[in-house]
Amino acid sequence: MNFQDLRIFPASLFQWCESSLLGNAIKNSKWDFAILETVHIIGIAVLLGSTLVVNLRLLGFGMRRRSAAELEEELGPWTWGALVLMLVTGAPMFLSEAVRMSLNGPFFTKMILLSLALAIHFTIRRTATRPEAANRIGLGKLAASLSIISWLSVALAGRAIAFFMTLNGG
Amino acid sequence: MSLFHFVQWLNDSSWSIYLRENDWPFAIIETIHILGLGLSVGTIMWVDLRLIGLAMRRERVSDVVSSLMPWAIAGFIVMFTSGALLLLSEPMKCYTRLSFRLKVVMLILAGLNVLYFHFRVERSMQEWDEAVVLPWRARMVGYASMALWLGIIVAGRWTAYF
Repeated sequence: MNFQDLRIFPASLFQWCESSLLGNAIKNSKWDFAILETVHIIGIAVLLGSTLVVNLRLLGFGMRRRSAAELEEELGPWTWGALVLMLVTGAPMFLSEAVRMSLNGPFFTKMILLSLALAIHFTIRRTATRPEAANRIGLGKLAASLSIISWLSVALAGRAIAFFMTLNGG
Repeated sequence: MSLFHFVQWLNDSSWSIYLRENDWPFAIIETIHILGLGLSVGTIMWVDLRLIGLAMRRERVSDVVSSLMPWAIAGFIVMFTSGALLLLSEPMKCYTRLSFRLKVVMLILAGLNVLYFHFRVERSMQEWDEAVVLPWRARMVGYASMALWLGIIVAGRWTAYF
């Protein structure tokens, strides 16, 4: 048993993903993957941007006329939108190359980091961006730091997926 | 020396060959390029959305601009520097790709858009700083910036493909 990639699951699962209607269609199309990837990158910009503005406010940089809670109320929907966008573009990309992804260390790492980032986002960061947390400066700074580090780590691991494939000859 | 010959010379330079033939430098530079993108486009888009009137409507325009511009500029510097190195690694490929040429044109237009905002639109900002619906010139700058950066991301990504 290894915990370096997705081979903790049976190989037949990934073969099934690739032969599924959606996975198969993307694999055999010249344009689909490129379009999905482009939208996925736009999702990164929106997600990093919307969380970053609130995180910077929590850290005490800029937007001082408004509370972090007010900013989050305004930008939270954009974060949600970006998350949905990245999921609906990321999942089909995975389906189309599931077998390769099952051997891809960075992909496995990304999924772990993504779980961590989501956990941080919906626990400590949600608490820190509530109106009643306005005076808890330390909590805000911790939540913002964790949020920035976790999302950047997800992006880095995501980028590394393609490099792993290049360096390992596909 | 024509541009083509310059690109050819650059393509054959030892720096270019080093970057092109080693996997890790390219991987690291491209990763930095993407992070710079997140920082700059991720912050510029809030200024754009404020100008258009789709987000941060209760903020003063001047607050959004002054709070986010330092980050957008920092991100742009990171993106520009890493982008120059990426270009250096594959000058001939970039030169011949239509998507890269479009990207350069859109980058220039995005730069002109910023200058137009700074020297024309921003001058009358006190009059509409707290307004929700901004003058059409300000809205146009927002739409143009959003469209151009979207196009730059798409063309940049597609430089690797087509």
